[in-house]
Amino acid sequence: MTRPQLDTMLEQATRPYRSATWLAIACAAGAVITGIALLGLAGWFITGAALAGAAGIVAVQAFNYLLPSAAIRLLAITRTVTRYGERFYGHKAALSALADFRVALFERLVSAPGTAAPRGAGDLAALLIQDVDALEDRFVRQPGQIAALVGAATALAFAIPAGWAATAALAAIILAVVIAARLLARRWLPEKAQAIQQDIAALKLVFVEYAAASPEIAAYALAAPVEAQLQHQAAQLDTRRTAFAQAEAMLAALVTAAGGLAMAAILGLSEASLPLTLLAALAAAGAVEGLSAAVRSSGRDAVIAAGLARLAVLIGTAPVPSAPAAHLAGDQITITQSGQTLVLKRGDRLVVTGPSGCGKTSLLETLAGARDAASNVMIDGDFIGAIPADQRRALFAVSPQSAQMIAGTIADNLGLARPGLTADDMWCALETACFADAVRAMPEGLGTWVGDGGTRLSGGERKRLSLARALLAGRPWLLLDEPSEGLDPHTECKVQVNLDGWLAETGTGLILVTHRDAMLPLGKQHLAMGS
Amino acid sequence: MPTRAFLFWLLDGLLAIALAAALAVAVSLLAERVAGAELLLALTLLCTAGLARAGAQVLAAGAGQHEAARAKQAWRVRAFGAVLRAPAGLRVMLGEQTADATDRIEDLDGYHARFQPLRLAAVATPLMVAAAAATASWVAAAIMLATLVPFAFGMAFAGTAAARAAARQLDALSKLSGLFIDRVRALPIILGFGAQDRVVRQLGAATQDVAQRTLVVLRVAFLSSAVMEFFAAISVALVAVYCGFSLLGLLPFRAPETLTLGRALFVLVLAPEFYLPMRRMAAAYHDKQIGEAALERLTRLAPTDGATAASSADLTAPPGMDIRDLVIAYEDKLIGPFAFIAPAGELTVISGPSGAGKSSLLNALLGLAPISSGEILLDGAPLVATQLQGAVSWTGQMTLFLPGTLADNIRLARPDASDEDIAAAAASAGLTALIAGRPAGLQTPIDPRGSGLSGGERRRIGIARALLRDAPLWLLDEPTADLDAASADALIALIRSASQGRTVLLVTHDPAVAALADHHVVIA
Repeated sequence: MTRPQLDTMLEQATRPYRSATWLAIACAAGAVITGIALLGLAGWFITGAALAGAAGIVAVQAFNYLLPSAAIRLLAITRTVTRYGERFYGHKAALSALADFRVALFERLVSAPGTAAPRGAGDLAALLIQDVDALEDRFVRQPGQIAALVGAATALAFAIPAGWAATAALAAIILAVVIAARLLARRWLPEKAQAIQQDIAALKLVFVEYAAASPEIAAYALAAPVEAQLQHQAAQLDTRRTAFAQAEAMLAALVTAAGGLAMAAILGLSEASLPLTLLAALAAAGAVEGLSAAVRSSGRDAVIAAGLARLAVLIGTAPVPSAPAAHLAGDQITITQSGQTLVLKRGDRLVVTGPSGCGKTSLLETLAGARDAASNVMIDGDFIGAIPADQRRALFAVSPQSAQMIAGTIADNLGLARPGLTADDMWCALETACFADAVRAMPEGLGTWVGDGGTRLSGGERKRLSLARALLAGRPWLLLDEPSEGLDPHTECKVQVNLDGWLAETGTGLILVTHRDAMLPLGKQHLAMGS
Repeated sequence: MPTRAFLFWLLDGLLAIALAAALAVAVSLLAERVAGAELLLALTLLCTAGLARAGAQVLAAGAGQHEAARAKQAWRVRAFGAVLRAPAGLRVMLGEQTADATDRIEDLDGYHARFQPLRLAAVATPLMVAAAAATASWVAAAIMLATLVPFAFGMAFAGTAAARAAARQLDALSKLSGLFIDRVRALPIILGFGAQDRVVRQLGAATQDVAQRTLVVLRVAFLSSAVMEFFAAISVALVAVYCGFSLLGLLPFRAPETLTLGRALFVLVLAPEFYLPMRRMAAAYHDKQIGEAALERLTRLAPTDGATAASSADLTAPPGMDIRDLVIAYEDKLIGPFAFIAPAGELTVISGPSGAGKSSLLNALLGLAPISSGEILLDGAPLVATQLQGAVSWTGQMTLFLPGTLADNIRLARPDASDEDIAAAAASAGLTALIAGRPAGLQTPIDPRGSGLSGGERRRIGIARALLRDAPLWLLDEPTADLDAASADALIALIRSASQGRTVLLVTHDPAVAALADHHVVIA
């Protein structure tokens, strides 16, 4: 997928929350203007009062003090309210839109999984969570950025009475701050921020793998090298964070320094009366301080662009709209392997055997659309490379060697198979897979939590749950990869008998990879791979 | 304890006072129409104070970041250890634990780098500013201090509510992150069954939920900072109005002090500075909430100071093991009781129906399963929880891969092994075909996921490790799983001869393997 497409998705996600965004911008502008006016007016009021007080009673009586003092109090209240509005509506728009955006991204990910395959799960999740969070920053800052420019314009307007020299000096300072910040931010921040994100993602990826292998770490006392490896990666992350924070602080410091300079310039150059000079000077200080919002954003924009580029790569090419192409019946599968050509009609059963590493699992993955290539398999007369993966997938119910589970309950895992499954359906499939008794004995039955990736279940239990899930999918072909691994001989025998009956009853075809003799009777045809 | 970052923030406050003074002097000179060197000096001071402030802020940020790195480092030692040594199969999702041990530690960054130093500065700097203001106008200083009282009440009230909401939100975030990791892991299954729609709907509900919770937390944070903004603005307004009326001589009460324009401007410019440290702290308030909630989760994850790895047993001779009425209790599942003897130097095969807890039993020997009753005797003495860690040869259902070569990965079992030892172990474990098939042979790089290795190959790498380690005690969990019958027979023969004279506990379903055992224990 390309950036424009990603931007379109983002645009779609933000559209429903546009009114909140506008409210946030209006509030932000209000807050900046009132803040500048408050300090400027206060300075004007005090200076005017001092001059009038010194000039005597007549001047004092001529001095209109009611209006400014009331205005000062009003400004104080308005600033508070608008500030709150800016923050609240800004975050509301950003959080809601990005929640939608994140899910839309995941949806794309599952519809075009190809390019994402080699990445680790932790890495992908980091992209989905952190890169999208970085985007939140952009949305939240956007109103402040616009408001800062409004503030600069306000201060320039206040500076006009102080004469052209003072106005020009202020304009020059503001311009210099904005341009310098933009240039420095682009040079310093983006690669640092990107490196931080990458480090976090890499750290998570490795951590997930290691935590899953904790028994082996314990057995060989590998905790020290494993933790050292992780600490090493983490220390690098901290170093980068420090560098980033310092670069950001330098940009903020630019604004602080410019604030003093702006006041000094106006005081030195002003041709107006002292009260108006003070108004201009304090307004200028306030406006320059307000630029800090714009300065911060200028650094982040490039960072966010980098995050978006990563997301675009992650999502890969846009899914081909699954044209209602010729529905694949899956009536005949032809496999040419090891000099043998096998023709399977719907309902046929094939057992595949061979030494480990000879490609049995790859054959199943090819059929099921998890891999491409392979020119040795045809479905309904077409080479499978020419058949879209999702059409192939619709033919097969797979129980993979890993018997992978999602973190959830037994029912959650079975429910993946097909929408609209009832508890009866589930129990029925569990019976066939010889797992119903065990589930019944669990305290929460179908609602029992299987742990992360099914770790609460033993290897054999996972295999049977995975088998039951495949049975529930109701596809024309069943692909089973070592379904009886981890089962005791008695259970294995029962599973074989049940499966035999279930296949006969439903007319489902079977392709079974196994090295266990007990499962061999299931096959009518036999493919021996490798030598 | 005052940290360096705090001291730099304090310096920033001092320079703010200097800046206000320079401004007041410059304006007084302008009012008296004194131009020339004196005015130039005052304006130069004004610029210099601004520059110095900028420098102090940069130093404060850097110092804070160093303090954060130290704190995070200490937590990592604790959290990494806790997760990597956790019993498998606890109810928490692995993704959630990962989020805790990585993201939650990153959450501490802002807490230590910004919030902590700013919190101290938020107390000290306003007092310093008020003291400076008092030298020019004690009434203005009193106004500043007086607005502090309602402000403190507002903050205390908002603070407790915010802390509760933040804790809830952190839980939700951790769960969400865990859910994403899990579903991405299970992508092949989800695609295979065409379950995308259902999973996307579920994730959609979960993310919107987290967004709403976050907004609740933020609303409280924004409210408390609005309280602060309000008093900051009011204090500027009150100081301005008081000074103005005082200079006009129009105060409705007898003037308590005589103000000049210079003094009035000095306190006016200081009025926002009085609240600035607290506003800065409020801006870091999100850091505080996230940080404290993260600390709570981390404390739950790693309650003790780690580094509790009990010294491993020094097995010089094959031990005899006596398992007595051992019961393993997971949260909602009891496994056992197991009772059997594994005599020293012999092969004991353990078999039984799947789900009986064979793997949990091996994990228990390593101290990785919660034992609720019974005991394990090692040569007659009770086994201390993690005593066997690092003292055994092991193959399990998952094989660990560290980034490095194939040889590096086999060497993990015995770091001082020579290249010849490794090559021999690899060959014995049946990895010859794998090694021959790769151009780099044993030097083939392997990533942490073991990409490109088949199930059987992973298993064989695990076995090569066990052979290389050659400990007096071997714990083997289904060593022949994922292997074809011929390979399995060859492997069992190898294990049989290589483990001659060692105590071996082997878990299997394969009756052919069980037949070779010196002792066969069937557990129900």
